Parts: sequence; C-alpha cells; structure tokens
Amino acid sequence: MSASRLETEVAQLIVQTLNLKIESSQIQPEQPLFGDGLGLDSIDALELSLVISQSYGYQIRSDNPETVATFASLRSLCNSIGKNRTK
Amino acid sequence: MNTAALLGSYHPENALAWQNGQPISYSRFLSEVAGLADRLPDMPTVINLADDRYRFLVGFAAALVRGQTTLLPPSRAPRALAQIARACGSSYCLADGLETVEGIPAFQIPVGGWSAAPNPKVPQIPLDHPAVVAFTSGSTGSPRPNPKTWGSLVSIARSTGVRLGLKASDHTTVVATVPHQHMYGLEASIMLPLQHGMAFHVGRPLFPEDVRVALAEVPSPRILVTTPLHIMACVTARTPLPQVEFILSATAPLSVSSAKQAEALFHTSVYEVYGFTEAGSLATRRTVAGETWHVLDGIALRPESNRYFLQAPYLPEPIPFPDLVSLQGPHRFVLYGRGTDLVNIGGHRGSLGDLNHKLSEIEGVQDGTFFLPDDTGTSITRLTAFVVAPGKSAKQILSALREVIDPVFLPRPLHVVPTLPRNETGKLTREALLGLLQELHKEERHGI
Repeated sequence: MSASRLETEVAQLIVQTLNLKIESSQIQPEQPLFGDGLGLDSIDALELSLVISQSYGYQIRSDNPETVATFASLRSLCNSIGKNRTK
Repeated sequence: MNTAALLGSYHPENALAWQNGQPISYSRFLSEVAGLADRLPDMPTVINLADDRYRFLVGFAAALVRGQTTLLPPSRAPRALAQIARACGSSYCLADGLETVEGIPAFQIPVGGWSAAPNPKVPQIPLDHPAVVAFTSGSTGSPRPNPKTWGSLVSIARSTGVRLGLKASDHTTVVATVPHQHMYGLEASIMLPLQHGMAFHVGRPLFPEDVRVALAEVPSPRILVTTPLHIMACVTARTPLPQVEFILSATAPLSVSSAKQAEALFHTSVYEVYGFTEAGSLATRRTVAGETWHVLDGIALRPESNRYFLQAPYLPEPIPFPDLVSLQGPHRFVLYGRGTDLVNIGGHRGSLGDLNHKLSEIEGVQDGTFFLPDDTGTSITRLTAFVVAPGKSAKQILSALREVIDPVFLPRPLHVVPTLPRNETGKLTREALLGLLQELHKEERHGI
C-alpha cells in the first residue's frame, strides 16, 4: 500500500475511533497529534493502539507515555505501522 | 513523639525497585535518601515532578526525613503547578527531567553518586507530620488542599495490605500504570511497597504490550496496579500477560463483565479499591463477587441528616461522601451514583463547577459551560463546552484552557455560540443544553 493511501486510511481510523468532529482529510500528515495540534492525549493513544492492533496486527509499545514518538504525527504513526504491520 | 518507620520491614539486600531489569536494593535506597536529604534546600514544601517512580520515592523520602511536605498538584498543566506553588508560599521543585515550575527554584534528583553508608538506619517519621498535601480542583476555581499525615498514609497502606493478603515474606513486586503523583498511585505503588517489604517497577506502562513487557521484567510474585481503562485495553488486545497474583483497579468503576473477562483471560483475581482524595483509599471489593464494598479496618460509615460521613482514627473530623451510597451496615456499602458536580473522564475525576469557573476566567469569555453528553458507548465520552466569546475563536479559547486544566477535560468539541439557553432564573438545565447541541448538529448537517 502506498504511504499516502495508508495515511488516508489511518486518518479515517483516528476520526472514527475517537469520534472526532472533523473530516479525516483535515488531519495534516505532519501536524502533531497531541497537544496544540489535534489535541489528543494518552487515553486516545490507548484507544488508537487497540484498533491499530486489530487492523494491522501491530502491538504498539512506548517507553514513556508522555512522549510517544510513534504518535508524533499521522506520518510517523503510519511509518511505524508500515514497518511493523503483520496484516 | 509518636513515629512510624519509613519501611514496614527492612531486608537490606532485597530489591525495592526494578529499573531497566536491574534491582535497586533497600540499602542503596536508604543511602540515597540520606544523601539527598543532606542536600535539599531549606524550604518547607516541595513539588516532586519525577517521572521515574524510584527517583520520585527517593525525593519523597528525603523530604520526609527533612520534615518537608510534598505537594501533589491536581494536574501537570503549567499554570496549575504555578498556582499551587504560589498558594503554598516557600516551595521548590524536584525533577528528574527538564520540567520545572514557573516562579520557584528547581532541584534535580541526582542518579546515584553516593557511596553506600555502611549501616543506613531506617528513618522514623512523626505520625502527625503532614507528609503530603493532595490538591483537588474544588468547585470554586481555587485548588483545595487535603493534608495527609504520615500516620494516615501508613495506616491506609497497612490496612489495605492486610485486606489484600500481602505479606513481606512473599516479597511481591508491583507494576503500576498509574502516576505516583496522584493519591491512588502514591498509596498503591509507593506506600504499599514501603510498608509491606515489597518492590516496584520504576516505569509507568501505557499500552497493553508495555504492560506485558514491564511485568516480564520483574520477578514473580507480581501484582498489577491499574485502572479499568488499561484492564479493558489488555482484555481487548488479549495480551498474553505474565502470571499476576491479582490486579488492583481504581479511579473509575469496573464492570462485573470486564472483571470476569480479565479474571478468565489472565488467570487471576481482580480487586477494586475505592477512595477519594479527601479520605484516601477506604474500601475494597472483588468485583466479580458483587457490588458491595467492604471498608478497611478502622473505618466506619455514619449517616447524618441525609448524607453519609466517613470516620477513621487518622481523620481529624468525619468526611462526607462525594458519591451517592447506600449502607448495608457500618462496614459495607453500595455505590449508586455520583454527585451531580463530579465527572470522570477515563479515570480522571473533575468538578464541573471548577471547570466552568476556569472557563469563565479566560479573557474574552462572557459566558460558558461544560457539559457531559450521554454515553455513546463507542469510545470514552468527552466533555463538550458552549462558550459565548465575541471575537474569539474556539481554537483561541482551547489554547487558553490548555494552560489551566488537565488535558483530558479539554472539550471536544468546544462550540462558540451567541448565547446560552439560560432559563428565567439564570440556570442552565441539561435539557436546554441537549437541545442546543441538537440545534448545532442540525446546522452542521445543513452546512450552515
């Protein structure tokens, strides 16, 4: 799957899972998902990790819940999924 | 002077903490505490921001030895920290990273660096020493201090450990997903190990796979101290967790069906502990055994007019229950609801009154209210906010809110509206707010 198609797919997954009141196309690939960007927090990260594991067979890990590098942006998340997916 | 020892039992070579798979012994801990206590600034109160559970504990214990009080802020939002520091007079901040608190001196908790004292003594701490002050958001906008004496922390840790069957000889290790700067985390991942000769993992795993790895890094027997959110994440992911003696859950109610699934999947027992900041942990139950909570030894519940009060030898006065309960005797109760001011978002408790107050203090906000929509069941339900702020955008108001409230309470979405549907007495009813929400959804659909 091309990087941009995966990004479209994961953006849709984020909007659906977290019940965000925005269009998935409004999520910019390099925009921070946490804090001032999309405003996600660790509860969202936990919810997203579950659907990512179900959809792509990738068990997300972190060493520090506050600085989840994987979740820095849509693009970094998709890069991690691309590298680690088993389905 | 009446005192209680920092440690419930002391075996110098036993592990107290596990850091990167390596044990840190009780004797090294006592040496580090003595070393740090000598170097701490001469100030009465401290905000300890350390993320590493062990380094937090070294700072906490050193402060106790010096007769200082550790402040537990209601959130890590920068302005909330600065507000607590200002309100408490002469304070400093302890950290193991780069984080600081505006307006007060910062002090790093060093990593090791002390030669082990030959026979470090177990410090004795006066029972009436205010060990921590836990702040709740209160309903008026200013954080409310809840001082906890060392005696009360020790009593609760001892009675909780007895209830859960913890024995020093088992040398059980705690893995906790909860922060040690909150009362539940402090009680279950710091005080419980200290008073029962146990050990703990220094980290704070978040994702199911993190929890699995953290448990695998420590020796058996182990227990998992966590929340309903993390339990359900591990159940949904069917994470192959290493054997745990039991799972302890708090911060929000756990459903019987979730507890049953977790017990079956992880071949363990699931217990819940119930408490609130003003009183600390006060009751436990095994979730699958039914809805009745059993209070810890020494605690009694007393009805008075139409409320219930909690009494304990370590509480200076009876404390009213914030949640709605029905008594089944002086030592047992059933919870059946929350006070109308309280909200619980993913295990974080907050006061709507306090959130509304903070919103109203933002520059340019003329009127505004937070609102908890009905549960849709798809994901954690978040707060909504309606704000009257001519000339301000939702984004500007959100940025200002982020400075003063815990991020889990940030509204999703925040609607900027021309007016709020207040009735003739100025009240906002839930029905009126639901009506406003429906109107807004209709407008969105019609592209207005």
